[in-house]
This record gives sequence, structure tokens and C-alpha cells, in this order.
Amino acid sequence: MSSEQLTKAWRLKRMQTWMIVAGIAIVAAWSGIQTEFSIAETVAGFGELVRYLFTEFLPPDMTALPSLLGPALETLSISFVAMVAGSLISMVFAFLAAATTAPHPGVQVAVRSLAAILRNIPTLIWAVLLVSAYGLGPLVGVLALVLTSVGTLTRAFAEVLEEIDKGQLEAVRATGAGYFQVLGQAVFPQFLPGFIGWSLFKLEINVRSSAIIGMVGGGGLGFSIQTGLKLFQFKEVSMAILLVLVLVICTEFVTSRIRERLL
Amino acid sequence: MSTKFAVDETIAVKPAPDKPGPEKPKADPLLKWAGVGGAAFFIFSLAQLDIDYRKLWEGTFEFIAMLGRMFPPDASQWGDVLSAAAESLQIAVVGTLTASLIAFALSFLAAENIAPSPGIAWALKGFASLLRSVPILVWALVYIVAVGMGPLPGILAIITHGVGMQIKLFAQSIEEVDEGVVEALRATGAGWLQIVLQGVLPAVWTALIAWCIMRFEGDIGDSTILGVVGAGGIGHELSRAMRLYQFDAGFFIVLIIFAMVFTVEMLGNRLKMAIRK
Repeated sequence: MSSEQLTKAWRLKRMQTWMIVAGIAIVAAWSGIQTEFSIAETVAGFGELVRYLFTEFLPPDMTALPSLLGPALETLSISFVAMVAGSLISMVFAFLAAATTAPHPGVQVAVRSLAAILRNIPTLIWAVLLVSAYGLGPLVGVLALVLTSVGTLTRAFAEVLEEIDKGQLEAVRATGAGYFQVLGQAVFPQFLPGFIGWSLFKLEINVRSSAIIGMVGGGGLGFSIQTGLKLFQFKEVSMAILLVLVLVICTEFVTSRIRERLL
Repeated sequence: MSTKFAVDETIAVKPAPDKPGPEKPKADPLLKWAGVGGAAFFIFSLAQLDIDYRKLWEGTFEFIAMLGRMFPPDASQWGDVLSAAAESLQIAVVGTLTASLIAFALSFLAAENIAPSPGIAWALKGFASLLRSVPILVWALVYIVAVGMGPLPGILAIITHGVGMQIKLFAQSIEEVDEGVVEALRATGAGWLQIVLQGVLPAVWTALIAWCIMRFEGDIGDSTILGVVGAGGIGHELSRAMRLYQFDAGFFIVLIIFAMVFTVEMLGNRLKMAIRK
């Protein structure tokens, strides 16, 4: 490439960069005007906002703690059951979706598209849809989380399956092992660390989301937060938020310990 | 005969001593107990949730029937839906940009390698972790109490959550900067601002932009759900349609949401690849 071409390419790239920057600036300006969001006003009102939140929401009402432990446990249960059910279903789907194990390319495309649909519709939207059919209660929370879990984990597990070392399969097969023996002795041991790692990752996300799903009627702490706000019991609400924090941090701690041992 | 020999050879060549053996996870006592505990907790959870299996069975049929009534999608209210979708997009744009700018300013104080003092870095990181651990919808509800309904609480919620996420990610990228570069600049007598501008920023800005794109992908998903609790955007249209049992109109909204999230993810992947070049 001559130096002239190089400068031309450089100039082109520079122009592209500036066009992207200009595009972002225009979209940002349009968004700011349409939503009537003004940074100046927000900054000016920020102190007032913080003061309001501090006086209304703090300190958390400790006396509400006993009545919130039930919902907290429910949130944890919803996340855990959804994680187990979701990862078991995803394991089956992943076998159909991985290029190496799919029985037919058509099946592979179908399962992958289904997973993409499940994954790209937010959990809360699933919950809103499911409430119409299943009524209020923790069942909706579990089902909504199972659906998005299947969406995320099917893709993740399929990728794990595609990365499996073929040499080990060959080796086990060479000893005269049958299909299920190959699966159990060669595929499964290689699949297990990825399987557990991704499932735990999804558990963390589930705990965060399940606190939200309660707000549309999925049970758990989200439901307590929603009712507390409706009754203007803001100090109880902040206690519930504190419990959400404790749950999220504890789950992260436990899962990261297990992951450390695994890898 | 010859193929069999070849297979044997691959076994001999690949003892893989550096890789942990596949049976290792089972042998670890902690993992064993975690497995037992997990199974026990699963049974306990099922018992605690007390799921009505008849409801699960009947509800599934009802859900399938509902899916049937969703076809064909009813696009008759497309004007309202699309302007609500635009509002979601605007909330995400304003939220991501503002959060990224705030986090950009703070992350240089939160990165341990260039922070003026380790205490500030530690405090900022703790603060960021607090902001991001509270679910975004909870922030939205809290802001609705403070400023009323509409897009503003949605934007504030996305900013709050986004600042928490971005400080962590930005600081991580800054901490990965080669220590030698910072040392070399410090040796020339450069001040803090000069080190940041001359040494750190050129090394990290592509990573920071990639994080911003990723945050925008997350925020567009979040901005579609904010409306469910009244914080502006397309989520409100969906919960209204479902409450009125207008399932076909609801389906149209779900399609729009899916299209938004999916398009942003695709564009984001494209952009990230372009930046990496």
C-alpha cells in the first residue's frame, strides 16, 4: 500500500469516526429534548432529591425484618428452582443446538432461534404475559425465570459442547464404549465445569431479577417493595431493599467460591 | 488396522498434564457438599414455594390459548406504540450517556493504580457496588416516589444503575494499563492530570467505548421494562394492553420490544468489532 492510499484510508476512517460521533450527538440531543431531560435542572434538583430520599427512606425499619424474612426466602427459592429447572431443560436443548451433537441442521436452527426469542424478551415482560395465564403468585416468577434461563443457558451450553475435546471422545470410543458410555465417560466430564459455571452465573442474575418480578405479581421481596410503596411505608421498603442487597451479595460470594474451586 | 493405531497415538501424545483431570470436580469435598446442599435446598425450595401443579397444568393450556389469541398481532395502535418505543430509546440514550460521563469522571479516582489515595478508590468502588446491586426497577420506583411518573424517574434509575456498573468496568480497564507507562510518566515529573491524559487515556479509550456500547445494550432492555412500573416508555403500553386483555395488541408490542433489543444487540456487536480493528 502506498503512503497516499494509506493517508486516504486514514482520512476515511477519521471521517467515519466523526460521523458516528455526530450521529450520537444528534440522537442524544433529540432524546434529551423529547424526554425534557435537562442536566442543569437535574443537577440543581439533585441535592433536594437526595435529601428527600434520605429523610423518607432512611433509616430502614428494623422491626419489619421478621415479616420480610419469608419473602426473602421466597425470592431465593424462586431463583434457585428456576435455575435448576432452566439448566436441566437447557442441557437437553443444548444437545440439539450444538453443531457437534445436533441430529439435524434444521433442528439446530430451530432450537437456536427459540433460545434467541426467549433471551431477547426481558424477564419482566415474560412475567407480565404469564400473569395473565397463571394468575398471581410465585409460580409466575419461577416460569418467567425458567424461560429466560433456557434462552441464555441453551446458547452457553451449546458453546461449551462445541468446544469439547474430540480426542477424548475418540479415545473412549476406541475402547469399544457404546453411545451412552461415551456420553457419560467423555462428553459429560468435559461438559460439567461449564455447565455448573454458567448455571451459577444465571443464579446470580435470577436473584437480581426475581426481586423485580415480584412487582408485577410474582411473589417474593419485589411484592413486599411494591406493596410498601403503595402504603407509603418507605422505611419498610428500604429494609426490603437492604435484604435484596444482602441476598445478591451472599449469592455472589457463594457462587464465586464454588466457581474458584471448579476452575 | 492403521486407523486404530492412529487413535492410540493421539492418546499417547495427549496426556494433558496441565489440564485438571475431568474427575477432579467430583473429588473436591467443598463441591461435593455444595452439590448435596444444593439438592437439599432445591427440595426445600419446592416445598416452600408450594407450587400448585394443577394450576401449572391448567395455566399452561391457558397460556397456549392466550398465545393463540395473540395472532395476528394487532398493529392498529401503532402510533402510540411507536412513540412509546421512541421514548424507551430516548431514556436509554440519555441514561447511558449521562451515566457514562459521570462514571468516566469518577473511574479515574476509583482505579487503584492512579487514584490519589487508596481510601478514595475503595470508597468509590463500594459506592458503585451499592448502586448496581439495587435492581434498576427498585431505583425507578424510589424515584417515582420522589419526582412523580414519566420518563424522568426512568432516566434517573438508568443513570444510577449505570454509574454503578460503569465505574466498576471503567476502573477495571484503567487498572489493566501497563504499570510501566504510568511509572515512566511519573518519572518525568508529570502531574496527575498529565498522567491521565498522556498515559492512561490513550491506552483505555477503546475499552471504555466498548463498555459504553455494552451498557447501552443492557439499558435498552431495561428501558423497555421501566414503563411497567410507570417510569416511561413502551413497557407501560404492554402492561396496559395485557390488563385490558388485548392480547393481539400486546403481541405487537412484544414484537416491537424484541426488535428493539435484538437490533441494538446486532448493531452493538458490529460497532464493537469495528472498534477493535
